[in-house]
Amino acid sequence: MRLKVFAASSLTEAFRDVETLFEAAHPEVDVVLSFAGSQTLRLQIERGARADVFASADPAQMELLSGAGLVEDERPFAYNAMAVIVPPGNPAGIESFRDLPRAERLVVGTENVPAGAYARRILAAGGEVFGPGFREAVKERIVSEESNIRLVRAKVERGEADAAIVYRTDALGARVRVVPVPANLNVEAEYVIAAVSGRTGRSTALRWIDFLGSVEAQDALAGRGFVVSNRPSSR
Amino acid sequence: MNGGGSGERRRDAAAMAKVAGGRRTGGRTSAERPPPDRTVRRGQRRPAGVLAGRAALLAGIPMLALLAVPVVALITASSWDQLVQGVRDESFLPALWLSARTTFASMTLVILGGTPLAWWMSAREGRWARATELVVDLPIVVPPAVVGLALLEAFGRNGFFGPVLATLGLHLPFTTAAVVMAQVVVAAPFYVQSAAAAFRRTDADLLVVARTLGQSPAGAFVRVAAPLALPGLVTGAALSWARALGEFGATLLFAGNLAGSTRTMPLAIYTALEADTHVAVSLALALVGAGTLLLLPLRAVPAMLARRFGVPAKHWPHGA
Repeated sequence: MRLKVFAASSLTEAFRDVETLFEAAHPEVDVVLSFAGSQTLRLQIERGARADVFASADPAQMELLSGAGLVEDERPFAYNAMAVIVPPGNPAGIESFRDLPRAERLVVGTENVPAGAYARRILAAGGEVFGPGFREAVKERIVSEESNIRLVRAKVERGEADAAIVYRTDALGARVRVVPVPANLNVEAEYVIAAVSGRTGRSTALRWIDFLGSVEAQDALAGRGFVVSNRPSSR
Repeated sequence: MNGGGSGERRRDAAAMAKVAGGRRTGGRTSAERPPPDRTVRRGQRRPAGVLAGRAALLAGIPMLALLAVPVVALITASSWDQLVQGVRDESFLPALWLSARTTFASMTLVILGGTPLAWWMSAREGRWARATELVVDLPIVVPPAVVGLALLEAFGRNGFFGPVLATLGLHLPFTTAAVVMAQVVVAAPFYVQSAAAAFRRTDADLLVVARTLGQSPAGAFVRVAAPLALPGLVTGAALSWARALGEFGATLLFAGNLAGSTRTMPLAIYTALEADTHVAVSLALALVGAGTLLLLPLRAVPAMLARRFGVPAKHWPHGA
C-alpha cells in the first residue's frame, strides 16, 4: 500500500521524521513524500496529480482546492513564524530586523508561495512601525524571488545573498545565523492538511492525518521547531 | 569530400573566383550563376528517396505526433482573446524585452568567441582537438541546473573567482550579466559544433588557391572560408539563439528570478504558472509564436545565403 504525501518544502525534515514513525507503526504502508512550494503542489493536484494527502504551508492554497471540491477533511496541524537569516559571516552587518535595508542582496519567496506572502506581510508591518521608507528600501534590495522556501534559504547558505526571510524552522540546522523578527511584526503561519478527494487509499490518508495528532508525531514536529502544543489538533 | 564530379568542381572554382576576387562581377552570366544547385540538392536526396516509402512515413508518424501534439494542444487550449490577454499581461513585455536584450548579447559573444574556436577545431585533429570537442560538448550533455550550479561554484561570491571579482567590485549572481553568461554556456556548443562542421565542409584546396592568388590567411578566411560556411554559421547561430531563448535551469540557479533584471520569458512562464495558469498559457503561446517567427527565416535564410554567395550544395548544412 502506497501513500503519496504532497507537502510544503518547509516540512521536509519534519515529515521525513513522521514518515519513519508512521511506517514503523504501519509497516504495510509505503509513504512517498513529495516536497515543493505549496502553490506548486496545489497546481499539480488541480491538474490531476495522484496525491493522497496534501499539507499546505498556508490555508489559502488549501481553500483553493477545497473550494473546487478537490480535498476533504482539512485541518490545521502545526504553526510556524518567520525569521531573517544571514550567512554565518553576516557580510551586510544585519543585527536586527530594522537593519534589513543594509542587505545589498535580499532574497524572498515569490508572492505566490506562502512564505513569500508572509514575508511581504511582515515587510508591510515593518513599514508601519519604521516608516514607509523601510519597506521601500527593503523592496529595492530584493534580488530574487524563489518558488519555494528551500531555494530562498539556499541563496543565503551559499553566501550569495546577504539576507533572506524564511520560516523560523528553516533556520534550524542550517549553516546560517538567525535575526529574529519582532513578535508584533511577525505572522502565525498555519499549516493545513487534507485528504485528496476521489482516491482509493482514502482510509490510509486519514490514518496519516490522524497520526499527525499523535504524541510521537507532535513531538517530531516540535523537534523540528514547529509549534504544536496548546492548539486544537483537529477541528 | 572531393567526391563531387568535375562539373561540381568547376562550379566551386567559379564560386571561388567570385569570392576570392572580392568584387562582384558586374556582368555575371547565367553560366556563372549556380542554378544547378537546385538539381544537385534534389539529387542529394534521391538516394534516400528510393527507399523512403510509406513504411518509413508510418513508422515516423508517432514521433511526428509526439513533437506536434503538445504545441497543438497548447494552441487549442486557448483562444485568441487569451493570447491578447497574455501579451497585455504586465509580466509579458518586460520579460520579452529582457529575453531580447540578453539573447542579443549572448549571441554576439557566442559568434565573436565561437567562430575562431570552431575554425581552429575544424583544422585540427588529434588529442587536443578531441579534448576541445569534449569540452565544447559538455554543456549539451550536462543538465542546465548543473551548469547553473557550476557557474555559481566558479563565479559566485564564495566561488572560485568570487574573491577576485569582489576586489574588482563585480558581483555576477542575480544580475542580467549572469543571465547572459548562463545563455552563452548552454547555447555556444550548438553554434561552435555547427560552425566547425561547416568549416570542415569547405574545400581546403580553395583556401590554398586563395593563398596563391595573394590572400593573407585572414583574407582567405574572410573571403573564402566564411562565405562558403555562412549557411552553416547562420543555422548554428539560429539554433544557438533558440537554445538561449529557452534557457531556464541555469538562469534560475545562477541569476535568480526577478522581474526586469533576470526574469526572462521562460522564467516568467514558470512564475506565472504558480499564480494563474491562464496567464502562463498565454505567455507560452506568445513564446511559441515568437519561436515560429524565428523558425521561418531559420529555414529560409541559409538557403538564401547559399544562393546569394553561390555556395555549392555540398557546403550546405543538412536540412537547409
